[in-house]
Amino acid sequence: MTQVILFNVLNGLIVGAFYALMALGLSLILNLSGVINFAHGGFLALGAYLAYSMAPYIGFWGGLVFAPFVTAALGIIVEHVLIRRLYGRDPLYSLLLTFGLAYIFQDGLRYTWGAQSVPYQIPGWLASPLSASLFFLTGYRVFMVIIVALAVAALFLILGYTRLGIRIRAGTLDLDTVSVLGVNVRVLRNLNFGLGIYLAGLAGVLAAGLLGLSPTIGDQLIMPSFVAIIVGGLGSLPGTLAGGLLIGVAAGLTAVFFPAAQEAVIYVMMALVLLIRPNGLFGDAGRVQ
Amino acid sequence: MIQLQKSTIHRRTILKAGVAAGALQIAAPYIVKAQGEQPIKIGVDNPLTGIYTALGKNENAGMALAAEQINAKGGILGRKVELLIEDSTSDKTDVAVQKARKLIQSDKVDFLIGNVNSSQAIAISQVAAELKVPHIDPGGHADVITGSSCQWTTFRVCNTGAMQGNAMAKPLVNIGKKIYIIAQDYAFGHSLADGLSKAAKEAGGTIVGTDFFPLGTTDYSATLIKARGANPDILVDLAAGDDGINSLKQAVQFGIDKQLHLAGMQQELEVLEGLPPEARVGTWLFEWYWNQPKDVPGVADFVAAIRKSTGKVPTARTWFGFAAIHSFALAANQAKALDAVKVCHALEGLKLPPEVACQPGQPFYRAEDHQLVPAVFVGHAQAKGTSDPEDLFVVDQVVQGPSFIPPVSETGCKLNYPS
Repeated sequence: MTQVILFNVLNGLIVGAFYALMALGLSLILNLSGVINFAHGGFLALGAYLAYSMAPYIGFWGGLVFAPFVTAALGIIVEHVLIRRLYGRDPLYSLLLTFGLAYIFQDGLRYTWGAQSVPYQIPGWLASPLSASLFFLTGYRVFMVIIVALAVAALFLILGYTRLGIRIRAGTLDLDTVSVLGVNVRVLRNLNFGLGIYLAGLAGVLAAGLLGLSPTIGDQLIMPSFVAIIVGGLGSLPGTLAGGLLIGVAAGLTAVFFPAAQEAVIYVMMALVLLIRPNGLFGDAGRVQ
Repeated sequence: MIQLQKSTIHRRTILKAGVAAGALQIAAPYIVKAQGEQPIKIGVDNPLTGIYTALGKNENAGMALAAEQINAKGGILGRKVELLIEDSTSDKTDVAVQKARKLIQSDKVDFLIGNVNSSQAIAISQVAAELKVPHIDPGGHADVITGSSCQWTTFRVCNTGAMQGNAMAKPLVNIGKKIYIIAQDYAFGHSLADGLSKAAKEAGGTIVGTDFFPLGTTDYSATLIKARGANPDILVDLAAGDDGINSLKQAVQFGIDKQLHLAGMQQELEVLEGLPPEARVGTWLFEWYWNQPKDVPGVADFVAAIRKSTGKVPTARTWFGFAAIHSFALAANQAKALDAVKVCHALEGLKLPPEVACQPGQPFYRAEDHQLVPAVFVGHAQAKGTSDPEDLFVVDQVVQGPSFIPPVSETGCKLNYPS
């Protein structure tokens, strides 16, 4: 029993890392632009399908590198054409827009690639356990954690040390002042949206290795990511990261004792956090408008 | 001038009225005849969006072929058949109910079909009974539909959990005695799990654990770690659709197929096609399969016709839809009426002819609970088809319905026809 619990804690961290990757993308967009991007799951699915279609030509690795970039490019276009028109309005407008976009994405994918799941193959040497006793540590899961760690490290480096990143962080705190200081806020928000969508595309390619690739692949992953943001605290990227890991472990542990509640438990956690610490575990009071 | 204009209009109006009246007289018999030729409407309330889209669309493709065949042979009672298709969604029972009511009350359909999702099928069956319209459930497997919630208006083509459990228990216990079950936490998963648990115990097996996970779960690692920890001989995975793909894909990545035997009951071609080749493993039950071990009349024609219309081989879902529409036509033609009570009585005991059955033996609707009694195909999945890329299953054994269907007394069904 102890072994099963230990396995599940470790495994929960792996799953949580994945939720965190999606949640970070959502969080970036939410923090700077105030847009709750319901179409994030659609972008995720698109990234996965692009990698699937690229695989015969440039292989799994090529898909992993290029599909998220193509997805991000589309994200930049969508922001430029649709989403930027709703900045400054009630968040409900962008919520409705992205909600509609999510449906358009899903049906567009269904129209292009069919309703039935398609088989997405990962390299054979990744698709097996590393050892017989720790059988849940497959090559692919370890690989996923490494990619997530690299992506998160790169994201924090960009935010911490590049001109773009510093402006994004400053804009999150006080967009008006950043604008007055001569930063082109439109371009900043556009690039920031692209960065968030890049993370969605990357998450999609990684997810397709674990799950069946169908047009609804993003739907089931998007809610845990929102929960990760709320548990971690709105406005705090490290909080989002911690939130993702935390709900992963909670879901894993619940699966041992009460499997039917493994999804419900993350919402219970969210409710508890909202009751006890309404700003989330790492959120600052008064930071979020 | 003004007067002239008025009189002109007046004259023309009279002229038009006269022509119209004449036309009416000439047209009158045609209108009556056209009424006689009004198509017979069959309402289809099946998922076209959401997780069951692929299954719903395959069922609908089978229905379209059946309608085409029926029309080519003179239709139902000399009238053409027309399918009215609505999207029930994959999970919103209220939408399925609303669409069922719309089809019956505003489109005035004669018969109703639905649904892939068991919960929606139960709800649709209640609407059909309330509004007295014959209904066939083509693909919702929950036992209660032809069990404790059975309705005089509802018939079912696909199998119950108890039927599949009885058919599959022996082949499974022959592989190993200790069985661990994982299943989806809703009507369908519970039906299959209950059916198998009962039958496996009777066949001398032990159920060492059963876990239900929420519909639409993406990560199965926790469930699989727990199941593996119980050290069973067989891991029975009862998940359908995307959940089936996700759980199998992850089980194989964990190497579970190499440590113990992976198996299940209802497996579908849609799922095997969505899996990478290395995950196409295990012992399964197919409710219908296109590549049958022996030449059976009707199968080749059915496969060829579906390939022509969809570009793919038919799956069990395609056959469910195909058989459902043909059943209505056969029953109505036999009853020589569209009256609900008469059609339902004609469906009771109705045997499917070979070109509709497309399987060894002769499936029939059991009169007491309205459940079709078909054969099932037990076999194993294969990574790649040897002769055909879509041949992903090898039938080892055909099990005939009468040997696995539980007696009516065990189903809890009591039919109440209106007096």
